Amino acid sequence: MADLVHVDRAVARRILGGDEAAFLDLFDRFFPRLYRFALARIGNDPDTARDIVQQTFCNAIERLDSYRGEAALYTWFCQICRNVVADHFRRKGRSAKRVTLLEDQPNARAILESLTAPVGDEPETGVWREEVHRIVEATLDSLPGHYGEVLEWKYIDGLSVMEIAARLGLGAKAAESLLTRARDAFRDAIVELFGTTDDLVAPFGRQPG
Amino acid sequence: MQNESDLIESLIRTAGRRAEPPEEAYRQVLAVATAAFREKTAHRRERQWVLWAGSAAVVVLAIALMFQWMPPSAQRGELARVVRVIGSAEQATGDVWQALGETRTPLTTGTKLRTLAGGRVALALSGGGSLRLAAETEVMLDAPGRLYVRQGTIYVDSGVRPGALRLEIVTPAGTARDLGTQFELLVAGAALRLRVREGSVSIDRGGQSLTGGAGEQIAIDFLGSVSRDVIAPHAEAWQWTESVAPTPDMDGKPAAELIAWVARETGRRLRYVSPGVEQRAATVILHGNIRNLAPLAALDAMLATTDLEYVISGDTMEIRTRDINPPEP
Repeated sequence: MADLVHVDRAVARRILGGDEAAFLDLFDRFFPRLYRFALARIGNDPDTARDIVQQTFCNAIERLDSYRGEAALYTWFCQICRNVVADHFRRKGRSAKRVTLLEDQPNARAILESLTAPVGDEPETGVWREEVHRIVEATLDSLPGHYGEVLEWKYIDGLSVMEIAARLGLGAKAAESLLTRARDAFRDAIVELFGTTDDLVAPFGRQPG
Repeated sequence: MQNESDLIESLIRTAGRRAEPPEEAYRQVLAVATAAFREKTAHRRERQWVLWAGSAAVVVLAIALMFQWMPPSAQRGELARVVRVIGSAEQATGDVWQALGETRTPLTTGTKLRTLAGGRVALALSGGGSLRLAAETEVMLDAPGRLYVRQGTIYVDSGVRPGALRLEIVTPAGTARDLGTQFELLVAGAALRLRVREGSVSIDRGGQSLTGGAGEQIAIDFLGSVSRDVIAPHAEAWQWTESVAPTPDMDGKPAAELIAWVARETGRRLRYVSPGVEQRAATVILHGNIRNLAPLAALDAMLATTDLEYVISGDTMEIRTRDINPPEP
């Protein structure tokens, strides 16, 4: 974590120094993640999500001097995005429907338990599936570096370790190690949020009957 | 029983690939964010220079003090004063927004202002001139003569006073420079629309410079495409600026002064039907106040007590005396 903070602080300094390539690299990494972050919080309104992410970037750039590396830069952007979302709802007042997300709740695990689908429900459809999809999406977005991409390549695209290595220009051992770290980071993020992976995995772990 | 790796695989596979944002949204936000980045880094370089220049200024000031000399009007950091607030508006000097105070509130460097839905604000700029904010507009007073507009619509009247400080308006979509004028600037992300009522305004955007003259509208979309149109100085589109116009104190002043103010605020040419009527307007003294009246309503109220009247015809406001006695056949 200390390395990550150090790297992000250096990135912030490069951007403040006028390094446009560093800025564009950050934009490409953060834009899709922040867009999904905002979209989930304003109730799937793409135009508003775009405006919120735009405002988030403007606010973050304006205040970048105040970033001290106390958290990962993406976490810092997310906090700004939360503020922009809160501001959006405050401006719209009661006319806007506020979305409350599971991971934003302090007692996430208790809420998760209360949402557990009853036996006999079809777990592959409905609110539960959407919510788990979003939580996995948000968790992958929160992972540092290429961890999110590596896990998608491995488990969704079915790439081998050698293929991942080739895509990232790494050796096989380094790619295997990266995959392990990505898996650990994903598990840690889920466990930090819910205490275990079981509650999320159980409905999907069942074999189709 | 699945092992942990299988559980993670199952979870990620079942959740599916993360959704990609629309390409159009990516391009639009990139354009705005890049503009904000460039403005920020340019300002930073400028501030570093200012810091250096400031150090030099300290030395100069110290020398001046040695000779018991002080500049006639030392800067005290006040950039503007609030002169009128309609509806909801807020100010912040950091991240905490609070309701905008009563009128005459002094505003200093770094103050941010925003109007909420239906809100409007008028400021008197310390360097001279008037700045007005339409609803849902956010600005920051950056430095003497420099304003940052994040979003929304502003109107600038730099006044007719010679020597008034020319305003530089920085936006995510480019920088506008007042060249002695009345104009409106709308900022929506990386898009910008300039309407010039009087005088001229230049816009710098990504190394490209454009100038808009009186009666001209220039729109630049977020991809940088420019379109030009015409807008009459008395068009209805300007009416929002009149509704929040800071009303001058007219008690004890000649009617001609009020008439000139109204003509300017409504974007109309002023014409007296005769030198005698012009002379009359200069000698009629007004009494009472027009506080918070729109310009034409103020003129109606004040001229009702005189023998002067106005007629508006297209872009002209004509002043004449009332027909007390019908003309002889």
